[in-house]
Amino acid sequence: MVAGMVALSPLARGGSAVSREAIASQTAIASAVRATESSRVLFGEKAKAIAALREMAFECACEGWDGNAACGIGPMALAHAIDFLRALPESFPLPECAPEPDGSVSFEWAFARHRRFMVSIGERPRLAHAWVDGTDRGHAVARFDGFNIPDRILQGLASLLIHERTAVRTA
Amino acid sequence: MSALPSGLPEHVADDEELSRFLTQSNQFSSIGPKAAALLPNPKHRNASVFRGEDIPSLRQTFEAARTDGRQAKAVALFRTVAVRGIGLDVIAEEPPMAHANIVNWPWFEADPEMQKARQLELAGRLAGDSRLVRC
Repeated sequence: MVAGMVALSPLARGGSAVSREAIASQTAIASAVRATESSRVLFGEKAKAIAALREMAFECACEGWDGNAACGIGPMALAHAIDFLRALPESFPLPECAPEPDGSVSFEWAFARHRRFMVSIGERPRLAHAWVDGTDRGHAVARFDGFNIPDRILQGLASLLIHERTAVRTA
Repeated sequence: MSALPSGLPEHVADDEELSRFLTQSNQFSSIGPKAAALLPNPKHRNASVFRGEDIPSLRQTFEAARTDGRQAKAVALFRTVAVRGIGLDVIAEEPPMAHANIVNWPWFEADPEMQKARQLELAGRLAGDSRLVRC
């Protein structure tokens, strides 16, 4: 059920539908997705993360939220960021969100000061991402189809997670 | 060496502490400032900072320049040498008093996402060298 809703969620925000039937169908999907996400039992921590993301986007919707002429977070960037959270496999920890000065949404997994993975989500379906792991670091861009997290992001995040879990076990 | 209206030297020394005010609670976590909090503004192509670590005084200057009434929630503190160590630079720019900009961020007009990826890496490295003080 939840997996089905995850698959439907990018369709729920509508788009190019013009016929009455298509609009009715989109409305029904959107209602179903909202109802599913509002259920903590079904959607768990992701519902909380999406709620926190929406709250941040609301607070940073206006230009200048940072005191230095930052762009407000737009609806497309927010929609893509929500799709990203919905598509994130359950085996991965949820990231923390942050506003960016160009109106994009940033997701960050920070395991330590010098060990973190960042993804930037804007209006276009290309995800800038970067990582720092001690002296190892890098950056890249990957295409996001709204349903599946790009492999290179999952692989990069997984390598940091393996390091983190090994370090915890050793300690 | 010429002095600025604040009395500070025009050249920002490597050992100077820099303060970046954060106005949104999502810009930092228990680990410290997030990388996104240190990214440059796309209009000015720089990241605004204040020179020094006298937070009450600098905060007053920062908030006086704002018109929306929002207050600083935290400050990211780092040394100039950390900025220069990743290929960026710090240039004094007053007013306001003790203000400076982190400059030389990479810009690739043809590929804004690759530009952001490179900036995120630099901001992530700088975030690792920063400490957080809550206001």
